[in-house]
Amino acid sequence: MNDEYLWDRTGDDPEVAGLERLLGGLAHDAPLAPLPPRSPRSPRGRWVAVAAVGLAAAAAAAYLVARRPGPPRCGSDTGFAFAIRGGAARCGGGVATGRGVLPVGAWLETPADATADVTVADIGALTLAGGSRLRLVATGAAEHRLELAAGALSARVTAPPRLFVVDTPAARAVDLGCAYDLAVLADGRTRLTVTSGVVELASHDRIAHVTVGATVTTVPGRGPGTPVRVDAPPALADAVARYDAGDAASLAPALAAAGAADTLTVWNLLANAPPPERAAVLARLDQLFPRPEWILERDVVAGQRAAIDGLRDVLTSAVWLAPSDDAPPDGRAPSKK
Amino acid sequence: MRSRSSAPALSAAASSVDGSGVADAEVRDATVAELVEAARGGSAAAFTTLYQRFHRAVHAVALARVGAADAGDVVQDVFARAWAKLDTVREPAAFPGWLMTLARYRAIDRARARGPAASERDLAVSPPPTSEAAAALRAIRALPEAYRETLLMRLVEELTGPEIAARTGLTPESVRVNLHRGMKLLRERLAGGTP
Repeated sequence: MNDEYLWDRTGDDPEVAGLERLLGGLAHDAPLAPLPPRSPRSPRGRWVAVAAVGLAAAAAAAYLVARRPGPPRCGSDTGFAFAIRGGAARCGGGVATGRGVLPVGAWLETPADATADVTVADIGALTLAGGSRLRLVATGAAEHRLELAAGALSARVTAPPRLFVVDTPAARAVDLGCAYDLAVLADGRTRLTVTSGVVELASHDRIAHVTVGATVTTVPGRGPGTPVRVDAPPALADAVARYDAGDAASLAPALAAAGAADTLTVWNLLANAPPPERAAVLARLDQLFPRPEWILERDVVAGQRAAIDGLRDVLTSAVWLAPSDDAPPDGRAPSKK
Repeated sequence: MRSRSSAPALSAAASSVDGSGVADAEVRDATVAELVEAARGGSAAAFTTLYQRFHRAVHAVALARVGAADAGDVVQDVFARAWAKLDTVREPAAFPGWLMTLARYRAIDRARARGPAASERDLAVSPPPTSEAAAALRAIRALPEAYRETLLMRLVEELTGPEIAARTGLTPESVRVNLHRGMKLLRERLAGGTP
């Protein structure tokens, strides 16, 4: 065995060379498919374009303000297309039935007996539940942002991470490639349940990384809580809820109740734990998942984001979003500290 | 190393050769960040150079999750989306990690849609792999995730360790550990006949 051949093909390792010959036929060698045109954009041209767009937008805004004070008009501007099902909804302060377009700045409000199917640019769609209030804040190449003030929505987005964002009174949900249900509860809390992929929920310097099958609740003014599986054992869910509410003594029972299927919960506890509690949380996580040796205990306990996020990325690929035919984690202890 | 200030010049140079379909030496030698900047400006030559540098790594990421017949489709899908969404890369130098993340999500989506990476979809390529190759591929796919992509980049796509580090954004040390430990596990499993 010659590690240098494995590393950079210097030296000799007949076994690795044999595997290269065996598998080399599967290597990718297809050319790039034809690309659609993309507008050339030099840095100077970009600023000119931005300035031109800004001037045009300002002129348009001035015209609209002078001509029609009030909320943006629905149906005649660019924005997100929607279709109302059931009773009459309200868009931009006016009655909306059937199909329409939700422009930037306008609110779409559904009564209890109606829902709305909303197209999210070219990246996905959402269904707005009855009794909801949704505003399109911004839409563009860099971000599509909505505000959910009340009610609930179910979103399905296929896009690069962080392109789709929904603000609620308690938190900000950032899509990392996923489908999810988001609800603003009557008491102002926000509840997120992920049905595919990953969502990041953030506020007040806390971040919850939530993957498929998990749910998390955020209390206004406090930041997101700790995600748990939808079918987490009550002992774990209760202990985590008490810990999130400020009862530090509930950390130990939460860790004790966490099993091999709860690495998402334990990693989130680790990511938001104060320094004195990190070592205990990491020790439990190590029991549940074999930490790669290049992620060092001392770095994680010291709170280094690169180490903690590196552990998250490994868990995401190996466990949380692993294909269904993946072997479950074997629970081996890490080989190196 | 090239300075970042050369990106506008590269953009102009790349744009100037797009019509001929020939990427000049400046495009070929550019840094990833420069290529991303030029591609954002509409240079197909710069984006094609990015494709030439990254398509094998993206294919390995896909092959870790879907059958060989689907992996090629995932590669084209990933680059089509990357071309459309390049403006969302906040820092051009972070393109490798962004692209790999995009590839993982697209491959996961494809895997969910098609079910587990079935052996028949591994065989539906031309030429089909031998039974030995198919067994080796299954053994690699059964390895822990951290080693799977890296070994596929090394053994299937024949990228070296330093090339894998450059294309994934991982540190060379991490790649070396992944290769060493992954290969050790693979040897044990192939020798034991338990993929």
